[in-house]
Formats: sequence, structure tokens, C-alpha cells
Amino acid sequence: MRMFRIVGLAFTLLLALSGVSPVLAQDQQPQSAPQDLFLFTRYPVQEATIGDPVTIRLTLGSDTTPQIVRLAVRDLPEGWNASFRGDGKTIQAAYVAPKSDASFDLRIEPPENVSAGDYRLTVVARGSTREVTLPIELILKAKEESSAGLLFKVDLPMLRGTPDTTFRYNVTLKNESDQETTVSLLAEAPRGFLVDFRLAGQSITSVPFEPNESKSLNIEVKPFPDMPAGKYEINVLAQGGESQATTLLVAELTGQPKVKLTTSDGRLSGEARIGEKTAFNLIVQNTGSAPARNIQLSAVPPAGWTVEFEPKQIPELNSNQRVEVTANVQPSNQAIAGDYVVTFVARPDEGASESTEFRVTVLASTLWGLVGVILIAVAVFGVGMAVMRFGRR
Amino acid sequence: MLSQPERVPIGRQREGSPWTGLWAVVAKEMADHLTSVRMLILEVLIVLTASGTVYAATQSLRAGAGGSFLFLNLFITAREPLPAFVGFLGLLVPLIGIALAFDAINGEFNQRTISKILAQPIYRDALLFGKFLAGLGALALTLSAIWLLIIGLGLLQLGVPPDGEEVVRILWFLLVTIFYGGIWLALAMLFSIVFRQPATAALASIAVWLFFTAFWGIIAGLLAQLLRPAPPGDALALIEQVQLELALARISPNTLYAEVALATLNPAVRALGLILPIQLHGAVPGSPLPAAQSLLLTWPHATGLIAATILLFALGYVLFQRQEIRA
Repeated sequence: MRMFRIVGLAFTLLLALSGVSPVLAQDQQPQSAPQDLFLFTRYPVQEATIGDPVTIRLTLGSDTTPQIVRLAVRDLPEGWNASFRGDGKTIQAAYVAPKSDASFDLRIEPPENVSAGDYRLTVVARGSTREVTLPIELILKAKEESSAGLLFKVDLPMLRGTPDTTFRYNVTLKNESDQETTVSLLAEAPRGFLVDFRLAGQSITSVPFEPNESKSLNIEVKPFPDMPAGKYEINVLAQGGESQATTLLVAELTGQPKVKLTTSDGRLSGEARIGEKTAFNLIVQNTGSAPARNIQLSAVPPAGWTVEFEPKQIPELNSNQRVEVTANVQPSNQAIAGDYVVTFVARPDEGASESTEFRVTVLASTLWGLVGVILIAVAVFGVGMAVMRFGRR
Repeated sequence: MLSQPERVPIGRQREGSPWTGLWAVVAKEMADHLTSVRMLILEVLIVLTASGTVYAATQSLRAGAGGSFLFLNLFITAREPLPAFVGFLGLLVPLIGIALAFDAINGEFNQRTISKILAQPIYRDALLFGKFLAGLGALALTLSAIWLLIIGLGLLQLGVPPDGEEVVRILWFLLVTIFYGGIWLALAMLFSIVFRQPATAALASIAVWLFFTAFWGIIAGLLAQLLRPAPPGDALALIEQVQLELALARISPNTLYAEVALATLNPAVRALGLILPIQLHGAVPGSPLPAAQSLLLTWPHATGLIAATILLFALGYVLFQRQEIRA
């Protein structure tokens, strides 16, 4: 601690001995000779669009004399309007004092029919003793449609997803003009897409903007589930007053196979005899948007049953195509009559597998019924024999 | 047929149909049965039980007890303190069968009317068969009347008609019930041929019925344990033992009838007897069996009942034909 104190003291002494500090010397150097009155603007040459008023910030000051300064514009072209505004009021003069500069705006309104080109004018400030002038150059340009209007900013303009997904684009829309405007939103999407503009959770079609306000919108794009895979472009147009902005959103649909397993008439039940192979016709259908590859067919049968598919595998099934498949179901020899559930499963290489419960009503063999009939016939025959042998006494 | 008499020795000539006069016997016997006090008592008894149990069942069903198959539930719904109607049928049908036939032949002997009947142009064949048919007819008539009574009561109380499946099942159950009565009818007739005293024949029939009702189940169990001993832990031997016991128990017509009643009136019953868990894998529980499948399931039982009826009748026929009539 002590060491530090000593070092600190030495440093202070050194500064005191050196006399003039370098910081002070630098401050004084750019200071020019004191001026009685001065007028300047930071941007003396400005560009402006025809039809828009131009506002130029001016600063007036004095280093020596407090005084009232009269303001005027010289060389103003024919038909133009110019006015000084300070603190929201139209002014003709300003009061300045040393170290108390006056800042105000010069508002220049060129007429609507003015032609593009360079225009010069001079601001004159007349103080108590002298007069200062400030030349200002305005370069007027013809109005451009998209300039200074609305601006789109999209965080992620290209999204990728399956036809099941909802594409959500986060978009910031900014009103760059200094006018209030109501912006209506339009989207130009290919067939099969639903586009919804959302602001704070609400569906909107138009939205009001303050000058220079930006709002973040959600554009939700929902494809129909049966849209084929591909890149789709969605043009979004925002139109407010005379300005408009467009942006391009891209939705890339990756195809998704969707396998369905059903029967030709939709009936998911059938009958089979105990121990006998029964064929059921099934239909494998791809309702998705991409071809399904290598669809494996399998079954979850009750214990002791056998299920064979013909064919066992479908190499490729394009979207919206169907293939007929035969399932040979053989109930177990020990199955009892009544309903059993067999689950058929179709599993493509990519995509979810589809399973269908099929209700098989097992029918008992009528063989034993026949044996019963024969038994009764034998009994009747026995009676007949007895009648033949002993009858008619 | 014309050359036949020449080959048959004289004195045992067989001419014409053995069934000549059959319908006369049937008509007379039916008339006797239907007007007899004995039959009246039985009919009153059975109608009372039927209306009582079925009315009780409708009360339960109206309270929402039954699911689907309301009309089948009429037969099998029990309400304390009454058992279900099928329970009564198991007792009453043998009783009617025995009551209708225990004095069929020996009664004629005791009243000394048999020689008078056989003096008519009626063969013994026709007499015995006619008596049997009349008994079976009276039984069928009574049971059909009761079935109609039950369905009528059901229609009144439940307000819904039975559907096709139910009608098939009810009719099938009626047929099986008639043949279940037929067995006891044939047995009682057999005893009435064997024994000269009607009381003995009645007692013998009731003894057989009691034997099958009360004791055969126990005896079947004991026999199965004796013939197929199952050491503890041996599942296969146990299965064999149970199957043997079931097969033995099925000798009793009571067991057969009970199983038919179960499978016919309860469509959810898919198999009778032992079911291994592996057979139930993937099965949909509680799903009703189609009526045709229930018929097929109970067909062996019905075959047994019908065949037993015919065989008992055949036995009685042979004995009767060989009997000395001159009394």
C-alpha cells in the first residue's frame, strides 16, 4: 500500500512540474479568432425529392456579443417557399449570446412543378453589427416510386418442410417515409398454398403505420397436404399510399411418402376357416407427396397363425398410386370360432409405417357337422334294421 | 316287394307298411296326453315357472341389465330369488318326458288293453312308434307354446322385436330342448317296456335322471383322476385329465343340454370346454359369434341328444317286438 502511495505522489508531482498540461494545449489550438456572429449548417449541400419539403438544420452563434439576429433567405427561386422554424414555431429572428447558440430549421418547400436540377440559395443572418451569409445548395431529383417508402426485411426467406408443416416467416415491415400510412398486404402464392398474415396473433389484411415505424409480422404459409415436392415462390406485396414494397419468400417442400393400407371396398373384416388359407385383397396406397420406397409388408397375427403377402415388398410406389396386395391368412388349427384381430403393417423405408387392424371371423369347419349327420343317419339306419328284422308282428 | 313274401317263412309274413295305423295311434295318444290331469299339472307348473322367471327377467332387462340380444337374455337372466328360466328347463323337461312315457306300454298291459289294440290292423311297430311320436308331439307342443309365451311376454315388456339372429338361436334352442326331453321320453318308454309296474318304471327313470344330474359329475371327476393321474406341476397331464373329465361328463345329457343352452343363448361364448390361452391370443373378447357358428358349435351336442333319443327308442323297439303279448 505504501509503495503505491509513493508512486502516486511522484506522478502528481511530475505533472505539476511540467507546467502546462498537454490536454489543455490541445483544447486551445483549433480555437480561431473570436467571431462576432457566425451561421453554419452541417450539411450545406442536400439532395431532395421533388414534392417533398426539405428541412435544413442551421446553427447561429456569437462569441462576443449577445444580440438579436434577423433571418432571411436570399436568391430564393420563383414560387418557392422558405420559412424558419424553431421549437415548432415559425420564426423571423433569433437571439444569440456567447456560448449560447441558437439552432433552428430552415424549411424549404419547392413547388410541385419544379424541374430537377441544382438550386442555390443563401441564408442571410443580420446581427447588430454585421451580417453573415450561408450558401445552400439543393439538388432536386425526380420522384422515384420505391424510394423512402416501405421496406421489407425477412429473417429467413427460405424455409424447408414437409407438406404437413406450416411455414412461418418472420418479416419486419418498416415505414420509412415520414407519413402515416395504412399498408395492405397481399400475397401471390402458387395454387395449393394458403397465406395468412399475422400480427400479434391476429389474422390481418392491412395494418396502420406511424412514420418510421416498423412492425414485425408473421407470414404463415400452409401448403395443401397433397402438394408435390418442389420449390415454391411466394411474392408478398405491401402497399401503402403511393409506396409499395415486395419481397420473395421461398417454401421448399420436401416430399413425404404417406402409405395407407386398406381394402378395395374399405371393409376391414373377413372370414376364414380354421386351418385353411384364405386370401384377402389389400390395397397399399401412397397418399403422400413423394414416392415411397421399399414398402415392407408384415403382419402381427394371433399365435399360431400364418400370414403371407404376395408380393412381400413393393419396390417403389409413386404418390397417388395404389397397388393391390394379397394377404394369405391361415388361422391356427387350434383357433376357436369367432373374431380375431390381425394387424397388417406396411413400412416404407422413409416415412411412418401404417398399420391396419383387420378383423377375421374364424369359422369352424363343417366337417364335424357332417359327422354328426352321419351319426344320426346311422342311428336311423339302426332303427330301420330293427324294423326290418322285427317289424310287423 | 312282390317277391318278398315268398322268401319269408309262413307265419312270419310281413305285408304292407309297418306304419299302418300309425297316425290313428298318434292322434289318440295325443288326445289322451293333452286331456290328462297329469299333463295339465305339468303344463300349469311349467307355465307358472316360465311366466314367473321371464317376467322377473324383463324387470331386470328394463332396468338396463342386458346389452344386445335382449330376447336371449329373457331365457338366461336370473333375478333373486328365482333362477333363470333355462335352469328350470333343465329340471322340468326331463320330468315331462318321464311323466309322458313311464306307463306307455306297461299301462296297456295292466289295463289289459294291449291285446285289444293289437287285434286291430295295427302293427306293434306302429303302436310303439305312435306312442313315442305322440309323446314327442305333446312335448313339442307344450314347449312351443311356452316359447311363444315367452316371446310374447318379451314383446309386451321390452317393446322391441327379436332380430333374425335371435330367432334362429331361439328356434335352435327349442329343437334341442325337445330332443333333450325326447331322451327321457325314450328312456321312460324303454323302462315301461322292461318293467311290468308303472311305478317301477317311473322310479327307474327318475333314478337315472337323478344319477346324471347329481352324481355323474362327481363320478366323472373321480374317474378322470383315476385314469389320467396328473402329478402336480405337469400341465400337459392336467390338460389331458380335464379333457377326459369333460368327455366323460358329456355322456350325461344334462351336461350336453347345459352346454347347448350356454352356447346358443349367449352369443359371446365361442368355444365349449377347455380353451388354452394361446387360442385366445389376438381374439376379440366379447364379440358375438354368428348364429350359424353357434349352431355348428353345438351341433355335436345336438347330434348326441338326437342320436341318443333314436338309439333308446330302437332299443325299446327291439325289446317290445320280442315281448310276449298274450297276457
